[in-house]
Amino acid sequence: MIGAGGAGMRAAIEAAAAGARVDVVCKSLLGKAHTVMAEGGIAAALGNVDPEDNWEVHFQDTMRGGQMINNWRMAELHSRESPDRVYELETYGAIFDRTPDGRILQRAFGAHTYRRLCHVGDRTGLEMIRSLQDRIVQLGIEVHMEVTLTRLLKHGERVIGAFGYNRIDGTFVAFRAKAVIIATGGWGRLYKVTSNSWEGTGDGVGMGFDAGAEVLDPEMVQFHPTGMVWPPGVRGILVTEAVRGEGGTLTNREGTRFMLEVDPKKKELSSRDVVARAIYKEVQAGRGTEHGGAYLDVRGLGPEQIKKKLPSMYEQFLRLADVDITKAPMEVAPTIHYAMGGLRVDAETGATTLPGLYAAGEAAAGLHGANRLGGNSLSDLLVFGRRAGGASAAYQRDVGLGMIDERQVADEQQLMLLPLVGSGKENPYLLQQELQQAMQEGAGLAREEKSLKTCLDQVLELRQRAARIHVPGSRKYNPGWHTARDLRFMLTIAEAIVRAAIERRESRGAHWRLDYLEKDPALGRVNFIAYSDGGRVKLKTRPVPEMPPELARLFADSASASQPPAPRPPKPQPVRK
Amino acid sequence: MSSSTSAKQSGANGSIVLQVFRGDTEGGQEQRFEVPSLEGMVVLDAVHYIQAHFANDLACRWNCKAAKCGSCSAEINGRPRLMCKTRVDEFAGREIHVGPMRAFPLIKDLVTDVSWNYEVNKQIPGFTPPPSEPVPYRMLPEDTERVYEYRKCIECFLCQDVCHVLRNHDDKSAYYGPRYMVRIAALEMHPLDTRKRTGLLHGKAGIGMCNITKCCQEVCPEHIKITDNAIIPLKERTATDVYDPVARIARKINPFRGSPATADRVEAKDGSSTGPQRFSVKDVVRLKTRGHRLARVGSVLPDGKLEVWVLHMNGKVQHWDGPKVLKMSDVSNNYGPLDDVGIGAKLVEQYITEDHAGQHGG
Repeated sequence: MIGAGGAGMRAAIEAAAAGARVDVVCKSLLGKAHTVMAEGGIAAALGNVDPEDNWEVHFQDTMRGGQMINNWRMAELHSRESPDRVYELETYGAIFDRTPDGRILQRAFGAHTYRRLCHVGDRTGLEMIRSLQDRIVQLGIEVHMEVTLTRLLKHGERVIGAFGYNRIDGTFVAFRAKAVIIATGGWGRLYKVTSNSWEGTGDGVGMGFDAGAEVLDPEMVQFHPTGMVWPPGVRGILVTEAVRGEGGTLTNREGTRFMLEVDPKKKELSSRDVVARAIYKEVQAGRGTEHGGAYLDVRGLGPEQIKKKLPSMYEQFLRLADVDITKAPMEVAPTIHYAMGGLRVDAETGATTLPGLYAAGEAAAGLHGANRLGGNSLSDLLVFGRRAGGASAAYQRDVGLGMIDERQVADEQQLMLLPLVGSGKENPYLLQQELQQAMQEGAGLAREEKSLKTCLDQVLELRQRAARIHVPGSRKYNPGWHTARDLRFMLTIAEAIVRAAIERRESRGAHWRLDYLEKDPALGRVNFIAYSDGGRVKLKTRPVPEMPPELARLFADSASASQPPAPRPPKPQPVRK
Repeated sequence: MSSSTSAKQSGANGSIVLQVFRGDTEGGQEQRFEVPSLEGMVVLDAVHYIQAHFANDLACRWNCKAAKCGSCSAEINGRPRLMCKTRVDEFAGREIHVGPMRAFPLIKDLVTDVSWNYEVNKQIPGFTPPPSEPVPYRMLPEDTERVYEYRKCIECFLCQDVCHVLRNHDDKSAYYGPRYMVRIAALEMHPLDTRKRTGLLHGKAGIGMCNITKCCQEVCPEHIKITDNAIIPLKERTATDVYDPVARIARKINPFRGSPATADRVEAKDGSSTGPQRFSVKDVVRLKTRGHRLARVGSVLPDGKLEVWVLHMNGKVQHWDGPKVLKMSDVSNNYGPLDDVGIGAKLVEQYITEDHAGQHGG
């Protein structure tokens, strides 16, 4: 089990319950994973607040939000199973906010038809990770903290273990395993303005890619509409969607509530791609706030409710930006938030395209399509974490331990040691910053062929330079050395993102092409897949799995008409091909 | 970024001076760094700048940079704080000293070995709902309200760092520390939890060690009122369970009346039979066979016997003599643990004084 966030821990719990011996390996201390950053809630159609809600509506919302390139089976399983996963979390000790009659309270969120998000104030992710962590401890599952894995070990096509290093003392470790589950999250650190922690470097997916697994939908990177913009030190830190869920409004410098025009029906609670583009457009048109964002105002909720419902937002703005959100609006702008893409997996089992290798959570792809709805990530972790844990436990019963190929270990050791012994001059941190800058400018919220191609050149150049990284010091807790290896994964993923973004010549969900503003129905029938061809990033397409008629009928009225079209850019429109 | 860029930034925005501890188990010292200052910058930004430009191998932990994960704990100008939440402008041009948490063994630079905390956590029995409780759970908001505060904890361990019991004891065996009092409080006050942890609190978790200086709640970045809302209520619960108030009043009237008991049934002096007697290490008991003497339990042996240290009074000087192995039936009262401080200790001190006076008076 690689990764101890929500998906990794849920998978470990399931695998252990099925009788497998489980070792959890994580880069940080237990309980620090990026899941703690999830604020707003977990989406599950319990129907506690709006009894009309059911799995079919949740399924439709998810598919529409994902612009119909999602894996329908994953979306179906997700919406059917998430209520049970939420209830189960309470048996581990979690306590969600409650309705007056003692059931789980649910709040409104972007593009969810009904009030659906189970939450604990604005720290739902923390509650979830602590509950899972407590369960792991209770079950006595072994956790290897501060161990980074860098290479999957294979016997033929089968994954039989993984190799890496201890962060504390720099010693190398190899694990032999009958099955490996990747639950390493996303790659938000590829961008400069990000809501992600340092861990989001895409290493699990990078490792899978290197080993020969397929990466689905890499071009689909979600911008969360509301990140902090000022002061510069906090740029990108997340402002939860719960602020809008609790009634917060967005206005431009002129005081216009622009979402009324963009999406008159859902207003501020339109899907994230729509709101992010709307803010971007206001700023581009010169109607942005002082520091280049929009105002998000929640004062209408009243000071008492703000402190109760949004305590960490209140604290965050007061401490870091000197803004009291009970008295003044927040300044917000889009920030990188989530990778819809990841390893291609089987919907039922989380099995990747390599035998013995499973993936779950943000590291896996398919559920969210072109855009993820808020709150669907936490339920994704639980639903598919559990499925991957159960399926891998069943798989390992019938296979033996593989033999480690010493050459694979030696190769990786050599690669790891290069930055410490080589004669290169490149600084890993500065290369990482250059990559983040390049991705932000070239493959960000608004994309076009020219900027993407420039970005690709930069990424390829950085890949060359990354071979010449030099890091001073020893292997003992050396973050420079750690960054050097992370960077290789980041560069691989960056290349996959940019190559797929160039090929998707349309605007769909989070992928907004200024040179192709409309959806292309032909591209709506395919997913892009990145795969390794002798270490080089190659692309191919795969048809979007076709929904069976009984589910397809749910969309009979209007395929995806509930989404407003992508906005026109403020500058002169480029000529369409 | 070249040095000329950094010089330009520093010219435009001024610069800040940091003294960052660098070293490992073999020793170390502060190293001076000058970092260009930016509006709204936090100490973690400055440390990142140092990593990128001056010391690639500077070790520090961090994850979210938004005060939600509790990884970047350090001592900043002597005070335990999160680096991501500490603005550099609050130091108004003064040098900023950044060092590792001192209560934990140093690994390197700002990184310490906090694994002890995870070991302690494993000793706490987890959430135990009634087996037949129907799922989904029904819990009323008024019953869940108080638990939320404890569950805000981000495990930064700053409270553990500042706790003088942990900080001043090389061996951390006496007390689990504030973080785990908060965790136990969350479990104990969970509306559906069925387990009692007061025995643990009273014994191994060492709640009596806390003498309520409230340093922990002052440093908590989540503003959990650790002492007021977790430790004190737990002390009260422990007192109620371990020193049953009815028995306590009875004891005041007649020190020979039995208190709750476990291993066997003991006959009190007045002939009434009491429930099973519970003993744990450091409990103070009265010896039936040696008059009014008090003894402290060293350990509870597997065969139901007790290894005790007997209290001798010599004027105002007291000393403990032993160890001696006694049968459960040789002892009568359980006065709770003899701690340095805390509720249990005060109670016992009182009885020691009474006992002492009694011996001399009688």
